[in-house]
Amino acid sequence: MLKVIDSAVPVPCWSCAVAHNESILFCPHCSKIQPPPGGDYFSVFSLVPKLDLDLGMLEHQFHKLSRKLHPDRFARASANEKDWSLADTALLNDAYRTLRDPIRRTEYLLKLQGAEIGEEHAGKDRKDPSRVPADLLEEAFDLNMQLEEMRMSKKMGDTDPQLQSDLEGAKKKYNDMLDGVDSDLRAQWQVWDNGDEPSRLEAQKKMVSLLDRRRYVNNLVRDVTETLA
Amino acid sequence: MAYSDKVVDHYNNPRNVGTLDKSSTEVGTGLVGAPECGDVMRLQIRVNPETQVIEEAKFKTFGCGSAIASSSLATEWIKGRTVNDALEIKNTDIVKELSLPPVKIHCSVLAEDAIRAAIGDWKKKNSVAETSAVAAEAK
Repeated sequence: MLKVIDSAVPVPCWSCAVAHNESILFCPHCSKIQPPPGGDYFSVFSLVPKLDLDLGMLEHQFHKLSRKLHPDRFARASANEKDWSLADTALLNDAYRTLRDPIRRTEYLLKLQGAEIGEEHAGKDRKDPSRVPADLLEEAFDLNMQLEEMRMSKKMGDTDPQLQSDLEGAKKKYNDMLDGVDSDLRAQWQVWDNGDEPSRLEAQKKMVSLLDRRRYVNNLVRDVTETLA
Repeated sequence: MAYSDKVVDHYNNPRNVGTLDKSSTEVGTGLVGAPECGDVMRLQIRVNPETQVIEEAKFKTFGCGSAIASSSLATEWIKGRTVNDALEIKNTDIVKELSLPPVKIHCSVLAEDAIRAAIGDWKKKNSVAETSAVAAEAK
């Protein structure tokens, strides 16, 4: 679950008592392991929240921290430190899995900014028409009808070549559309990473609606690919 | 997550699946989607122009079991009601009837939206049809 804690509040190290920024896994002064920090996933890697991440760097940091947290290193440590090495490892894994994936990273950052994303928040702001990609609805419906027809005829053992080629065309079309959404998203990353507060807010709104659109298109690509397979 | 018996029943035996003639002035069509999960739902009604009673309701939903059950139930409920009565149906009624868990509440919202969209489309068509009838009489 997401915890947003003010990471500017310094916390004393349990071992050497030197105050440190909360969102670190090891004390910078005495190098002792710390209990799972309450900051966001970015701060686990000592990053400020941003979208255009250096993934090579992220992976490198992940491996480095994983090694430092390995339970074998705490075989002779106190019970607390043993527990923390496990808890910190779990946190590190969650953080890495979330941040390395471009879509999950974007969703996570938007959630940190207070956006309500995902099924558990669905329906709350239903009065906002931008949430439903209206231009896509009709197409999504028609494609689903064709897919159903295709599955039926496959079951019967005879496939209509026209339908087959229509669906091949649709597959390409929606794959291209997905690429288009992804490049639009990346453009908004740049706005968010480099913009001032008002342009950030604007970019957040755009990303929420791009992600809605993406979910739709992604489902269509998945379904058409499955049906043609 | 386990579906309730009622959801399973509607999913296995959906009521009123089908299509009505979109071009008929008696038919209203609502097409709605949930961006959260990519579901798409079409709900159609055929309204008696004299009594404003919904005499027929059909749906076609591509989505999860809860979305199918919600729209199936919605068609059952609106059939036999006047359009204004049908607008009284709230998504919370559907949630209660189907015992939907919190993560599936948006399926019921979608069904309510579909009812509203279908009735809205019918109303739009019919004020148009009425005015053109009046215009035809005036000639």
